[in-house]
Amino acid sequence: MKIKQEAIGDVYVLRLSGQLMGGPDADSVRETILSALNQGYKSLLVDLKDVSWVNSTGLGILISSHITVANNGGSLKLMRVSRRIDSIFMVTRLNTVFQVFDSEPEALASFRSDSESSKSREN
Amino acid sequence: MAKSPPEPRASGTNRIELSLPSRLEYLGILDHLVQAIAEQMDFDADARDAIANSVIEAATNAVQHAHQHRHELPVTFAFEMKPDVLDIWVRDLGPGFDLEEVTSADPTGPEGLLRSRGRGIFIMRAMMDEVEFDIHEGGVIVHMWKYVVPQGSPKA
Repeated sequence: MKIKQEAIGDVYVLRLSGQLMGGPDADSVRETILSALNQGYKSLLVDLKDVSWVNSTGLGILISSHITVANNGGSLKLMRVSRRIDSIFMVTRLNTVFQVFDSEPEALASFRSDSESSKSREN
Repeated sequence: MAKSPPEPRASGTNRIELSLPSRLEYLGILDHLVQAIAEQMDFDADARDAIANSVIEAATNAVQHAHQHRHELPVTFAFEMKPDVLDIWVRDLGPGFDLEEVTSADPTGPEGLLRSRGRGIFIMRAMMDEVEFDIHEGGVIVHMWKYVVPQGSPKA
């Protein structure tokens, strides 16, 4: 599995490609997430458009990442999940854990919306 | 108890067999083969994905848990294409496991949802029509099958 990274404003985007299935994948994703958090990013977005499939170990990687980011006061969201991966999310009810978006603009807008909601609560 | 896979028969039968070293990086090859077999049997796209997801889970369990990533231990697969059903066997050489213990927790419940492990067998059972485990000290044989026409549908 390969990971490309880029920052779009305050959002750190991880673009995964290949299959997410455990083994070295877990280390790569964990290191990338920690690096983003250490750089001060709180909004992380994982693009799964080019991920052909995920096994249960890969799901575990996503869950661990979600928890790590949340424990650091941030949020991790997913986008462009294939129908095949979505079927696994539905069956395992992980669709109730992850926020998943069909498009990048929608996903990015959701972080802005979160930020505005947070600011209005502080005022 | 699941039947052991029949002995290999002469070519001409609708049976495909595969042996893979215990390497996660080879699961992509397996996935392509399973998708091709399911397409050959005219399963629709959702069913092809369900079958592939299930076989991948069985293979993952074999590589990670049964064989502990020992590359030299083979995971063997048999696919039998019948007119109304795809029969699949996945065999490992591991020490076996306690099925009841492994499947006791509900991975979709409040306590299980955020666990990073424990979904493989659940996914298989959710996506295939039937899944059976033949567990013994010499290894495990997972036998699963999916009907071409879903049981209970008007066409069945």
